[in-house]
Amino acid sequence: MKEQNIQITRDALALALEAGARKARVTLARSTENLVSTLNGEVDKVTRCEDSSLSFALFVDGRFGSFSTNSLDRESLREFLGKAVGIVRMMAPDACRNLPSPERCCKTAITGNELDLEDPAYTELTPERRRGIALSAAVFGKIKPEGYKIVSEEGEYADSRYETVVMDSQGLVCLHTEDNFDYGVEVTVEAGGEKYSGYWWDSSSRLDKLAYAGCGETAVRRAAGQIGSGPVAGKKYNMVIDRDVASKVVSPLLNALNAYSIQQNNSFLMNSIGRKVFSEGMTIMDLPHIKGQTCSKLFDSEGVATSEGPIIEGGTVRKYFVNSYMAAKLGISPTVEDATRPKVLPWPEPGMHLNDILRLCGDGIYVTEFNGGNSNAATGDFSYGVEGYLFEDGKIVKPVSGMLVTGNFLNLWNNFIAAGDDYRDCMSKLIPTLAFANVDFNG
Amino acid sequence: MNNNFGISEEQMKALVAEGLRSGGSWCDLYFESTVYFDLLLRDSEVSSGGYHQDYGCGIRVLDGEKTGYAYSESTDYASLLNAARAASSIACGSSSAPGIISPAAGKRRADAQDRYPQESDWRQKEASFFVPVLKKIDTEIHRRESRADKVVAMLSWSLSDIMMYNSLGELSCDSRPLGSISVSTVFSKDGRIENRRVSRSFRCGAEMISDTLVEELISDSVKGVDAMFEAKRPKGGKMNVVMAAGASGILLHEAMGHAFEADFNRKGQSVFCDRMGKRICNKGINIVDDATIRGNRGSCNFDDEGVPGQKTYMVTDGILTSYLHDRISASWFGVEPTGNGRRESFRYNPIPRMRATYMESGSDGSLDDLVGSVRKGIFVDQFANGQVKIGEGDFTFYVKSGFLIENGQLTRPVKDINIIGNGPQALADIVAVADDLKIDNGTWTCGKEQSVPVSCGIPSVLVKGLTVGGN
Repeated sequence: MKEQNIQITRDALALALEAGARKARVTLARSTENLVSTLNGEVDKVTRCEDSSLSFALFVDGRFGSFSTNSLDRESLREFLGKAVGIVRMMAPDACRNLPSPERCCKTAITGNELDLEDPAYTELTPERRRGIALSAAVFGKIKPEGYKIVSEEGEYADSRYETVVMDSQGLVCLHTEDNFDYGVEVTVEAGGEKYSGYWWDSSSRLDKLAYAGCGETAVRRAAGQIGSGPVAGKKYNMVIDRDVASKVVSPLLNALNAYSIQQNNSFLMNSIGRKVFSEGMTIMDLPHIKGQTCSKLFDSEGVATSEGPIIEGGTVRKYFVNSYMAAKLGISPTVEDATRPKVLPWPEPGMHLNDILRLCGDGIYVTEFNGGNSNAATGDFSYGVEGYLFEDGKIVKPVSGMLVTGNFLNLWNNFIAAGDDYRDCMSKLIPTLAFANVDFNG
Repeated sequence: MNNNFGISEEQMKALVAEGLRSGGSWCDLYFESTVYFDLLLRDSEVSSGGYHQDYGCGIRVLDGEKTGYAYSESTDYASLLNAARAASSIACGSSSAPGIISPAAGKRRADAQDRYPQESDWRQKEASFFVPVLKKIDTEIHRRESRADKVVAMLSWSLSDIMMYNSLGELSCDSRPLGSISVSTVFSKDGRIENRRVSRSFRCGAEMISDTLVEELISDSVKGVDAMFEAKRPKGGKMNVVMAAGASGILLHEAMGHAFEADFNRKGQSVFCDRMGKRICNKGINIVDDATIRGNRGSCNFDDEGVPGQKTYMVTDGILTSYLHDRISASWFGVEPTGNGRRESFRYNPIPRMRATYMESGSDGSLDDLVGSVRKGIFVDQFANGQVKIGEGDFTFYVKSGFLIENGQLTRPVKDINIIGNGPQALADIVAVADDLKIDNGTWTCGKEQSVPVSCGIPSVLVKGLTVGGN
């Protein structure tokens, strides 16, 4: 299959050049996915997906355009690319558009499995096995709750294989293959005429590491944990954020470091490179090469090699995410287009988990879910709906919902208290439990 | 009726028969050919464009409420046969007898009106036709507003040719255009930065591009910039909220509309699952989900199960009168489908989705009357990023812009706050509805499992006692 994928991509690249492109980059993406959904302990849906598409970045007479199609036969492609090149010729010239220099490009993604993300078990899976996993993970009717009833349980098992080939007219050839096995379950419980929902999931690039058993119980526990919840008095609290949702206060920082935001003057981290703008305890590393872990990758969508290194180090901004186009626009050095596997390092000491951090903070609100809200990319102001638990003396006291948390990311991260050592490696961003002081809550 | 998919009705009938070979109660085929074009203006130049095409067929088999689904990106018969067999696996081992195709096979649906006639074919327009439009938007924004620093404008259109065939033998075809323009502007003043995004989207041909539309986009982009820079986050608390007509309808979509979708009610997850026929808000309030508005982004001649598009009253005079159904939920509830079975593309099975969701005009006067009745509260001009928990009904909405109301007057501009509440409670707490219904024609896209274009609308309304998050 890999040889076939390489040949399809190589042929498509040749056709793009034949159609009139001066330079071109072609990406072939192929995937298969199987899903088995359950409702209340019975199979509710089975789905089989197979996808193939070709994406083109075409550089024609100093102009640029991007195109895609899932019609891969030669004659369809020839016609498609003829039309595409015609469209590019109508664009304004843009001297900043170019392929990345070959020196920056990845030369180590040769087999596609360098990061050990293929599982031999994938090709041996049968429909019966998939149904078996989905049904065995379901807990509806198997657990007998007291004080509430389980209204519904929706589970979904999925396995997929994604294969990518990237080639360009400067000789770039990169392969990436990634298997994913996922199980997620959402449970609705009812108590006192009110409904509460809870969700839990696991994901792995290895089927034998997928912890699907136990997801249902956790989802039930999370739903039931909110029974009787309500707002507490609005004031400043310490805020502890669960590792599952903590990316909510990290992703906006990474977005603000993207050169597209910088170039449009639409970032609250303009002119921050090399400056200490956050608490010294805050360090975010990019670790794109962790073997066997979902979302690790050797190259970005331009084929540029990813690398390990600090994004923010001791509160000082070390890296913007700058692709080739934005580098030329801004007149700065290119890096990679985005963070691949950002990880927030533990602070103030390694080895802390949720309970350690609750104890460290003493009193506050432990946020387990964000519900709506937004942040302002230009100012860093944010306002989110939250639910979770009030805690006192390091112990959970009561469930909380119907609250809003409001602030500014620069202030928030300057009131940083702690980062745990408990991130989930099944997540694309390795964000542990986080804690902050003096955060405004309204209810 | 076009059939550009290289498949005959006899072959479609045979595929349906294959899908039902192991049993099952229903089989349908969904053929799609979509082309999508976009142009991007950045730094005052239209220097990037794209063209994308997507093609394939989804095959669905139902065994009661259970679904088997598979698709093929090729419509050659052998590939489709494989997909039909994969979809049929849902019925393997079921006790149902092999499914049957209705003797009415070959019946063509001709009972849908064309809600989006195209006077001017997008495909006949070169990129050079659209470039001056984007450049005019950019030039005029900079000319009219000196604080406008950066403008990014995108124009896109898509055209989807759809053909559906099902085990009732119904054959339905649709050709769905969708044109959109969005404009994002960054303003700067004394080192401070603010941004704004405005958009318009319609199901129609290239006649959508008009001087009137361009002027709307420009004037909306530069309107109220002073207020943007003056706006402050207010003190939070519980207060009365007046929502402006138009885009505030997104709250109706998120906080109430999703809970009216019949799949959530069939599964007992919605807060409204035991409220059918009961009063859920004040008399005089009517809430509609409508596929019939000519040229509207949410309109459809047929839904994605071949059911004719229609206008559905979910709330009539304050009483819950209908959920939004696809064929599965309609069968389960024993009612007719309401034409809400929609999907993102042939890659997805249809599920109940909204179309254009709005509240009809009320009889409580004008926006000024509503504001004048509030001693202390918030007037919300623009919402963004709403989210709701279906079971609990709890919602949070971000207020992009608005004003404080003090003693019946709009006073200071506010921004960057959230409004939090509970859907059914907020609905019950609507105490006044103005007579100024406005449908918002922005690029609204609903993301329930899959992305589909929708629109929303509302007259100005007064809601008592919502929680406003502030300093």
